Amino acid sequence: MSQDRSILNNPNSNDSSPNDLDADHLSEYADQSEPAGLLKAEKLTWAVDGKTILDDLSFSVGSGEFVGVIGPNGAGKSSLLRCLYRKNQLTSGMVEFAEQSLNDYTMRGLAQKIAVVLQEPPTRFELSVADVIRMGLTPNKPLLSFDTLDDQKAVEEAAEQVELSDKLEQEFNSLSGGEKQRAMIARAILQAPELLLMDEPTNHLDVRHQIEVLELARSLNISVIVSIHDLNLAAAYCDRLILLNRGRIVAQGAPELVLTKQQIQQVFEVNVHVDQHPFNRKLRITYDLGGEKHGR
Amino acid sequence: MEDRIQFRLKADKAQQGFTSRFSLFSVAAVLLLVFSALLATGMGSVNLSLSEVLNSLLYCRNDLNDNCLVDPISRQIVWDIRLPRILMALITGAGLSVTGAILQSVTRNPLADPYLFGISSGASLGAVIVMAVVSTAMVSITMGALIGGAFSVLLMLVLAGRAAVQVERLLLSGVAVSFMLSAFTSLILYYSNPETAATLLFWMMGSFSNSQWNELWLPTGTLLVGVSLFFIYRRWLIAVQAGDESALTLGIPVNRLRLSMLIVCSAITAVLVAHVGGIGFVGLMIPHISRFIVGAQIHRILFMSLMLGGSFMIWVDVIARSLLKHQVLPVGIVTSAVGSFFFFVILKHRTRLR
Repeated sequence: MSQDRSILNNPNSNDSSPNDLDADHLSEYADQSEPAGLLKAEKLTWAVDGKTILDDLSFSVGSGEFVGVIGPNGAGKSSLLRCLYRKNQLTSGMVEFAEQSLNDYTMRGLAQKIAVVLQEPPTRFELSVADVIRMGLTPNKPLLSFDTLDDQKAVEEAAEQVELSDKLEQEFNSLSGGEKQRAMIARAILQAPELLLMDEPTNHLDVRHQIEVLELARSLNISVIVSIHDLNLAAAYCDRLILLNRGRIVAQGAPELVLTKQQIQQVFEVNVHVDQHPFNRKLRITYDLGGEKHGR
Repeated sequence: MEDRIQFRLKADKAQQGFTSRFSLFSVAAVLLLVFSALLATGMGSVNLSLSEVLNSLLYCRNDLNDNCLVDPISRQIVWDIRLPRILMALITGAGLSVTGAILQSVTRNPLADPYLFGISSGASLGAVIVMAVVSTAMVSITMGALIGGAFSVLLMLVLAGRAAVQVERLLLSGVAVSFMLSAFTSLILYYSNPETAATLLFWMMGSFSNSQWNELWLPTGTLLVGVSLFFIYRRWLIAVQAGDESALTLGIPVNRLRLSMLIVCSAITAVLVAHVGGIGFVGLMIPHISRFIVGAQIHRILFMSLMLGGSFMIWVDVIARSLLKHQVLPVGIVTSAVGSFFFFVILKHRTRLR
């Protein structure tokens, strides 16, 4: 019903006006202003037990883009990432990766394209750091194959890239939070992915390690989608932001467009002041801690 | 820069050190297994020297060899009595240990062991039904136990249903099946005569006494198939140790992998239990000891479990048949007694190291 009406109201929706960036026309614009859509979600909806967690999300991520997903707790950030690495099966809508539906990939094929760094990687047994990093080889190696010297070298190089060379033989569990995240990034590097998904990689880390992890992710020069709580870090590191609230996209685009005083106040329910950061010329969000309006 | 190179060298050395340490341990473990088998062949109510054992093993398979220097009775002891028994002990120990190692890593539960699915109670029920209800003339106890073991696994999978993808629920339904089948066993025992009860009790405690050459094929074959599968899927098995979701992102069908591994392990266990009875604790203990020695890499643990499990069980059998004069102790008793003591020592040692 509602669909019919929208077509009636919008005469352009059926013929291809130049402003419509649908799948067929995207490639034409690819080398112009818009970055080529590496990942495209259209009307992505995910419901569990009849409760809609993610509602009608449409967005795209270009190759090489660093995209932040922000929003309050329970907004659906992790659920969204899970949909992208197919832990969650979409209820409706679709996600395309490299112009192919996500569901058309084999599990292994997807793991060759998309690497994931999860929040708190749990281990029970005494895996060494090298063991954990070496897991990144799994999607790219046939089952019946031995690790070659090249593989060993790749592990060492990945470890060097994340500055864990001296800790390869240590127990993974003995690493600090930041080092664990870096080891997981090294594992992702070995997967040689085109897209890296990171679920709140800066949680539980001190400031220095938060910056370190994000710098590292940026230095990989691949597309990254990262869910993140710290709005200042998000503004500083992300090319584009997707602001979620209650499973819906409130705003998306450049940090300046998303992190406006009004939108932050509406979504996070805190008073803020937004201005330019004196050092890096990016956005600076200052929270109103005075508690005059929102105080107790 | 120099620091970097130093680091690199150190890391390389550490890597080499670790690898060569593993090679050293593997050679030691293989030697241990071979010597255990040889020494155990010589030990028993008739003691044979190592040279006699070697001579009869090498030259006395049939009587007609001129190089055979051992008298016919010793030859018969070695070939017809001790060797099949020792091989059965070896395969049992290796099989239970290796299944324990796999189950502990796919369920990520350090308490998982081969009897997880109530296989031993299923096998006991099968055995007791054959003994008390059917008749050993029609179906052998081994066959009954095998059917019982398989039945328990099926029952557990059916009862778990869709919940089978969750480890905890699977384990819980395994426990439930175990108690359910034990109840039936007890019921049948309650109404059967004392001899049947005694036979079943002895069977349940495990024994290698009746091992024959022709009984070795099924356990050996099953174990070989299982170990090959474990070896083929070792990359996936390692990755699962870091968590389900993490393994999923590496492209591993975690639930399917776990379920198939559980079924393979159950098959190995069911076949072993059917042949030698319920021998506990090896499957729990040896993987932990192996992990302690060679680290967490699954193929190393598997290899070490095979070797150590085999050697351990050979010595358990030696103790079982030589501790008391003219009497064979049930293997299960010796395993649990020796095993738990040994385990305490390791645990203490390990705690002190930390």
